[in-house]
Parts: sequence; structure tokens; C-alpha cells
Amino acid sequence: MRLLQQRFCRTLTDRMRTVVCVKQIADPTTIRFNIETRALDNVHDIMDPLDEVAISEAMRIRGKNGGEVVAVSVGPPRTQAVLRSALRMGADEAIHVCDELCDHLDAHSVSVILARLISGLQYDLILCGRESSDEGNSFLGAGLAEFLDLPLVTSSTRIDIFADTRTAIVHRRVKGGDREIIESPLPAVFTVESVLCKPTYPPLRTILAGDKRQIRELDLKALKLDLKDIEPTVAILGISQPKPRLKKTATIDSSLSPAERIRLITAGGAQQKSSKIVEKLPKAAVADIIRFLVDNGLISTQK
Amino acid sequence: MAEIGQTPSSNSGSPPPQDGRDEARGVWFVAEHKDGKLDESSFFLAGEGRGLADKLSEELSVVIIGHQVMDLAEPFSRHAVDKALLVQDPILEKYSSYAFVDALTQLVESNRPSMVLLAATPLGNDLAPRLAAKLRVALVARYTQIDVEKDKRLLVQRVIHGGKAQATVSPLKKPMVATVDPRLLTTPRPKPPKNMAIVEARVRVDPKASRTRLLDYLKADPCTLCVSEAEIVIGVGKGLRSADNLRAVEELAHVLGASIGGSRRATDERWIPDDRRIGLTGKTIAPRLYLICGISGAFHHTLSIKGSQLMLSVNTDRNAPITKLADMAVVGDMHEVVPELTRQLRDMLKPAT
Repeated sequence: MRLLQQRFCRTLTDRMRTVVCVKQIADPTTIRFNIETRALDNVHDIMDPLDEVAISEAMRIRGKNGGEVVAVSVGPPRTQAVLRSALRMGADEAIHVCDELCDHLDAHSVSVILARLISGLQYDLILCGRESSDEGNSFLGAGLAEFLDLPLVTSSTRIDIFADTRTAIVHRRVKGGDREIIESPLPAVFTVESVLCKPTYPPLRTILAGDKRQIRELDLKALKLDLKDIEPTVAILGISQPKPRLKKTATIDSSLSPAERIRLITAGGAQQKSSKIVEKLPKAAVADIIRFLVDNGLISTQK
Repeated sequence: MAEIGQTPSSNSGSPPPQDGRDEARGVWFVAEHKDGKLDESSFFLAGEGRGLADKLSEELSVVIIGHQVMDLAEPFSRHAVDKALLVQDPILEKYSSYAFVDALTQLVESNRPSMVLLAATPLGNDLAPRLAAKLRVALVARYTQIDVEKDKRLLVQRVIHGGKAQATVSPLKKPMVATVDPRLLTTPRPKPPKNMAIVEARVRVDPKASRTRLLDYLKADPCTLCVSEAEIVIGVGKGLRSADNLRAVEELAHVLGASIGGSRRATDERWIPDDRRIGLTGKTIAPRLYLICGISGAFHHTLSIKGSQLMLSVNTDRNAPITKLADMAVVGDMHEVVPELTRQLRDMLKPAT
């Protein structure tokens, strides 16, 4: 496997071939859970916003280093639109592992299938979203890196490619907005964060050219894969109505007017947490604020 | 649990042997720490782990990875943790994805727990998928609830489609690697200390095996940090009145290490840049503290601040909607309160630093 990669790298010299994994998701802003049919309503298929970021970043890398951008996806035929969107955004190639069986797979199985597909391609870089906006398993990047034996950097916020030395310097997001700067050899897998770049709106010429391009379709047989051999790691049992998040509720203050109390009860007590109201002169009020900050561990007295 | 005994997949390398002799047992959670201090999320996990361990009648262990972390184990004895597993190595002093995953993988393979919990923090979100991929086991990211069936099968709830639906999943391979948002967990109360076994685990991490290299660490500058990533945010609104008054707020932000954001009014007036707008047409924030100065709390703004752990408002209007929403509401003029707060905080923090 690694030998193969090295050979491809040599033949490609400075040109970067970037593989971007894209996913079709239901627009989370419009989707609704229908209690009667116990299914999702109002499903509008879109490309995962993070994948748009990944495609745009791949486009930027291509603009700088030359090369190609290949979009790949797994799913039943109805999910092919996402690859058309990728082509319209400017991807050079699109490959769809198109199989009716590839519906509602768990993240592990999807990674196995994509890893098998990508292992047969030429590539210098693999990009995917840090987590999908629908299921949010955040597994794909790690899965691909593991199965293809590649280095992985998650939550990238900036990617600089040095095609001549076949390395990349990546900034990644860590706690509290800090950044780690990581050097990684290529080929590698980077998962992208939304702040990496703003998705660009492609020019009309690119959109029209994208409409004309062919989407390569492969089924599992062509990849010499059988779903029976891929052991899922998670069983998806079903979906239900989201439970409202538990909120801290205060017992209703008996000094309130009846109308206010009724309003509180009918509001389900939501958000009626006990807020402390301080009406003092600034100096005394600030002392209260500081006590509040110390009590909640935001500042410590012995710093 | 017949699924666990299935033949391993041929193409996914060499999964750990499923001999079925000794069943995987034990709930683990990984403690997060930095510069010799435990992260608050670790105690939330201790509380969550205790509940799960009791339901499964298994042991609860904390895994602490680092260099010279012996002292960090002690606090967990007050959180009903049965065992502390320490992995100590100079290589593990700073977080490195490769070394941490390598150490954790070896530990899991030799001790075979049934569950590994991590906090859904940037560190946990990096570690958990790598660990699951390496072990070829189930990853359940950001679960909201775990129920234990009679046959000890786990039913895990998680939120999908941006909160519009909830999925029930069940791990098919042990151990299950799971992350949970610590903000969803209840504050743990320290219990009387109990005897906790401290075990130093032996793992071998090759420092040269990592292919990626940490070149540098950039500490976030709160002044330039995006409000959606900041731990402390100060929001300014109409009550600021003019751009000149922002200086006092900036001084406070400097003392607190906070980022400044604001309402639509504040950005429209050009008091703060557009990318610092918090609300329906701007950013959504979830800091540890949101200090709200002169914002009345219109729906367009409050919609995007609900993730804040603590909200403190300073407003002259006692009946402003924000007063009801905030954890603490000071009725007063921000132009008096903010400089005073800066002064008192400076006095408090000065002598020691």
C-alpha cells in the first residue's frame, strides 16, 4: 500500500491531487420530525456545509499548486446530487459508490468503503469535514487515516501545502481558541473546521462545465466489497422525537401575581431559572459580581 | 450479545482477538488536564461514569495520561472512583494525538474495559475517533443518555440533524468509545473520600513513530479571537452609547481575558466590527461566562446566547428581558459598573502576579 503511494507521489511531482469526501445531508434548518408518521419531514437535500468548505479549500490548493480535485461519496442513487454540486463547485472528477445497499450505514462501514475506493485512486491529500452536520459521528477522518495508514490532523483551521517537499503545515483548533501548528508529511488526511475558508460561489462557466461532467458510478461489487464482510460497529435502532433538554427550574415564587404564576406554569417552567437581581450602588454591586465569578470558578483569588 | 462474536472483517486489518474468554468489563473515563491542573470536565465524567458503572455493576476507573501525573489522581478518590490508571512517560508531557492514542490503545487492549468515556472537548473529539478506529470498535459521539438493558446491552441516545431528531443506537463491539458534552452533565458533588487503587500502567510509546510533528502552540489572543470560540465573552449593546465608551470595556476584557462581541445595534453603529455580532444575523456563542453590558435582550440576540453557561447582565432597566434570562442581573449603569469591576479585579489579581 505505502509503496504504491510513494510511486504515485513521484510521478505526480508538484501537482496536488486532492480527494474530498462529501456527504448529502438533509438541511437541518428545515427538517422536522413528524410525530404521526414517526419519520423526518421537510427533507431538503444539500451538501454538508463543512464539505463545501473542504471543496473550496481543495479548489484553493489546486489554484496554487495545480492538480485535480476528486469528490467522492457513498450512498444510494438519490444521493448523487451532492456529487453534481461538487462538480458545479469546480471539482474535476466525481466518483459515487452507488449502491442501494449503502443506505443508513454506520460510520465505520462508510469509512471502510471509502478507504477501499480511495486506495485505488491517486492522491496526495484527503479532506473531509470534522463531523457531518446531520449525524455528527466525526469518525470518517480517523477511519480513513487508520485504514489507509496515513497521518491525520483533525479540526484544521488553516492548511499550507508545500508541494516540493511533500509536506503540509496545518493549524488545528484546540481548547479556548488556541491553535496547534502541526507539520505533516503528504499524503495525509485532514478534517476541516468551518473557519478554514469561506465557501466561494463558483462562476457560471464552472457551473455549466460541472453540469457536463460525468459522475463515475461504482457499486460495491466493483470495489470487491461485500457488506456482509464489513462488520458494523454501531447498530442504528431508530429515530425519535428529540427530548427537550432538562432545564433548571425554580419553584414558582408565591409572592408573584396569579397571572404571572399561571404564565410560568404554562411556559413549562422553561428558562425560569432563579436569576439573582442586584440593585446596589456600583461598588457593592461589583463586590457581588466578583463573588459570583469566584463562586463559579471563573476567577481564583489566589492567582 | 451474539454480534460481538462475529468473525472479524477481512479488510480492516487485524482487529483485537474476540476470544470471549474474559468478557470486557469496567467503565473508564479519560481525565483531561493541562499544566498540572485537571479540567473541570473530568469531574463531570466521574459523576457520569459512576452512574453507568453502578448500572452495569462494574468498576469505574479514571485514566490519566501524561508525565508526572501522580498528584492528579488523588481528587478522584472523592468522586467515588474505584481505580486510577496512570500512564506516565516524558513523551506524554504534551498532548500528541499519536502518542496518546497509542498509549490508550495499549491500555485498552491489555485491560479490556467495556466502555471508554471522553469529554466532547477539542481534545476528546480528536482522541475518541482515533481510538475507536484503531481498536475497530464503536464510537458514539456526543451522546445524551445511556440506558442499560436487562441483558446489559447499551441503548445510547444522541441528537442528530442539528437537534431536530434523536437517534437510538447500540454499540456492537466492546469497548464502546463515547464522548459526552460536559455541559449536559450535572455538577458533581464531592463525596467522602474512599480507597482508590492507583495503578501505574506500563505502555511503550515510540517517540519516533508519530508522523506528524507539533511545531508550535499559539495561545489565543482574546482580542482577536472569534466570539464563538471564546471562553469569556463581553457583549455590548445600545447601552454603550458611543464608540469612545468601548475603551472601558476593552480594559475589562483585557483583565478578564475576554472577547468582545455585541448586538446588532453595536455593529450597525460601527462600535465593533461586523464579525463580532452575536445574534440571529451573527455568531452563536457558548462561552463559560457571558457578560452582557447594556443589551436589553431582544429575541434576535438571546437566541444565540443560550449555550452560555453563565450569564451576567448589567442593565439600567430592571424590566429588560435579559434580567430574567441572566443568572445574575445587576441593575445599574454599565458606565459605572464596568470601570469599577475592572478596578476591583485589578486590585484582586495584582499582588500575586
